[in-house]
Amino acid sequence: MSGKPLIVAGILLGIVAIAGVFAIALNLVSQQGARPKPGSPAPDFTLTLYPGYRAGLPEQIRLSDLRGKVVVMNFWASWCVECYKEADALEAVYRKYKDRGVIFLGIDYLDTEAPALAYLKQYDVTYPNGLDVQQRIARAYRITGVPETFFIDRNGVVREVTIAPLTEAQLIAKIEALLAE
Amino acid sequence: MLRFALHTLRLSGLCFLVACLLGRPVIAQVPAPDEETYRIAKQLNCPTCAGRNLADCPTETCAQWKAEIKAQLDTGKSAQEVLDYFQARFGPTVLQEPPKAGVTAPLWAAPVGAALIFLLAAGAAMWRASHRGESANVAAADAAEDPFVAALEAEVRRDG
Repeated sequence: MSGKPLIVAGILLGIVAIAGVFAIALNLVSQQGARPKPGSPAPDFTLTLYPGYRAGLPEQIRLSDLRGKVVVMNFWASWCVECYKEADALEAVYRKYKDRGVIFLGIDYLDTEAPALAYLKQYDVTYPNGLDVQQRIARAYRITGVPETFFIDRNGVVREVTIAPLTEAQLIAKIEALLAE
Repeated sequence: MLRFALHTLRLSGLCFLVACLLGRPVIAQVPAPDEETYRIAKQLNCPTCAGRNLADCPTETCAQWKAEIKAQLDTGKSAQEVLDYFQARFGPTVLQEPPKAGVTAPLWAAPVGAALIFLLAAGAAMWRASHRGESANVAAADAAEDPFVAALEAEVRRDG
């Protein structure tokens, strides 16, 4: 065997190795999957709630344990200016529906604890809230930013996604529609 | 007199050396807290803007994160402990240089592997080429020493 084919084989192996690197990188990107569309099952997750923001729930809750209830899942962050606009509305509507089979979950995204707790205190939030550790929930729901709110029906199916601050009227309309089913 | 002068010179040199060693600015060795915050922030990514360094990012998120770094340093945590906190909370992608382990390990290893394969192949090819040249020279030398070949060459020269 002469030297030339060996060099060609080496170059080919190098190309294969580089292609492998790109394949791994693409796989890492695609692992995030697609945003759950309305009508598709809500990806399950476990959320550790902040102390003082459990509303009678255990420290760690699973979404699948809330089957049978309407779930309003709101992604937020203390640094998010748009989130301020809906904070009062979320709390007011939670208080209105908390005894009617509706659970609100605040998913704190890319936040540090002190500002997050200060934010919750500032807006007198009482519904369950916890940090999305390593953005696992955000990746599962493929959010593009905050605020984003997912409405999940009693069967654990995503029914609607809102990528903007919500008003009280909007929240009530969406919850009433799910409760009426 | 000369001995006294030399002795004085030696003593002065010794004093100068001691003064240099003892008189080094101690403050310069201990970075101020803000410098340490900046140094740690340089090793983290901005969580909301892709590819931007936390230290140089002016967003509200980054301001909060820098405040968190400073708060943790003030409680006596080391730089590594602060970095570990951010990695545990936000994942390895928060680090400017993610750990060379787990699913991303092949990304670091593949280019080195490819370079090694290429170098090995190139080395083997060069060795084969030089070995082939050596064999050809040896064959030529053997032919020159063969009496039959020498006689044949002499015959050819005579006829020519």
